[in-house]
Amino acid sequence: MSEPCIRTRNLGKSFGGKAVLEGLNLEVYPGDVVGLIGLNGAGKTTLLEALSGFSPATQGEVTVFGHPVLSPPEAVKRRIGYVPQTDELIPSLKAIDYLEVIASFYPKWDREKIDALARSWQIDLSARIRSMSVGQRQKVSLLGALGHQPDLLLLDEPVASLDPLARRQFLQELVDVTASGERAVILSSHIVSDIERLANRIWVLKDRRLYWSGECDSLKDSVVRIHYRSRERLTTLMDLPNVLHRHEEDGYTALVVQDWSESLHRQFRGIAGVALEIETLSLEEIFLELHR
Amino acid sequence: MFVLNPHSGIPLYRQLREQIRRLIAGGQLRPGMSLPSIRDLALRHAINPMTVSKVYNQLEAEGLLERNRGRPMTVAAQPKLKAPRSDRLHQIEGHIAQLILAARQLELDPDDIVNAVRKKWETHDE
Repeated sequence: MSEPCIRTRNLGKSFGGKAVLEGLNLEVYPGDVVGLIGLNGAGKTTLLEALSGFSPATQGEVTVFGHPVLSPPEAVKRRIGYVPQTDELIPSLKAIDYLEVIASFYPKWDREKIDALARSWQIDLSARIRSMSVGQRQKVSLLGALGHQPDLLLLDEPVASLDPLARRQFLQELVDVTASGERAVILSSHIVSDIERLANRIWVLKDRRLYWSGECDSLKDSVVRIHYRSRERLTTLMDLPNVLHRHEEDGYTALVVQDWSESLHRQFRGIAGVALEIETLSLEEIFLELHR
Repeated sequence: MFVLNPHSGIPLYRQLREQIRRLIAGGQLRPGMSLPSIRDLALRHAINPMTVSKVYNQLEAEGLLERNRGRPMTVAAQPKLKAPRSDRLHQIEGHIAQLILAARQLELDPDDIVNAVRKKWETHDE
């Protein structure tokens, strides 16, 4: 496998002695789109800040393209794009001038691409940033990160203020970024259906730790909700390991099972006369079940 | 191009794979017909290109698709137009399981269902 874009060893972060993140071992490879999900305060922003070097980890190490994130060579620094949740735009500038400032740092700046995107996202680059709406400002921030064609793009809630059209156009832009298989994206979002579309890998942050990480597809394949309607106790069902949640009432049982498999599926389908419904779950529902 | 619902509990790769298999088994996608490029399909649905390439690779390994240098994937030439009957039956099993479940919940007999399916089939088929 090729060199990881980013790798962390035992990453941790504390604020004033209080741990916010602990023991994170992460790897991202070219072509990956990682969806970072977690409740408010789970540490998503803190993690993205630590990965980008914007606000360093207090424990462990982060390497980007094989170099420590805190002292990368200039050439490595240019391969990273980071869009923070709160934009860092300069209100008194016109958008076009702001982007020119950014462009001056990057030899690979793609002016044509940025002009084309600005047209399709319907942003007037000659307007002053001060006069722009939150959504327009978000678009300008994203242009700033897309323009230098980074090999690793870190996005903190990039679509939160975008309208549905702009959101879709932005997601398609990310498809374009990753289609070559050479660049990687890590994005956090509460719009879980966007992550479902685009992310091949998921990181779930919970209680300061990486609660679950893996392929989005295998997460969906492995978590199911089983509905069972009968007064009879079905011991094979009650004895299933890794039950996330169990709901029992008169003649009805619902179980959310974490390690579902094809063989369990066949086993239960083979039980004659039992009305067993096996419901597959969307990422949003799985996320809710993980936080019960 | 295809019906893909990212918000469904069924992973996108399975939705896409089953659809292409069904279309080939049913003869709507015939040998030699091209599939969209990975990039086009990913862009159209705003999904990860790796999801598409995973499906194409799997279907290539199964012998259903053929890779062509510098050109789109095509449906493989097959000895028969349609997949064997047993394969096609296998692909509809999930739907049958759902039908049986609904029937049990409604306390209907197998005969009721078979008759209803046959009746629907005959009126649906012109």
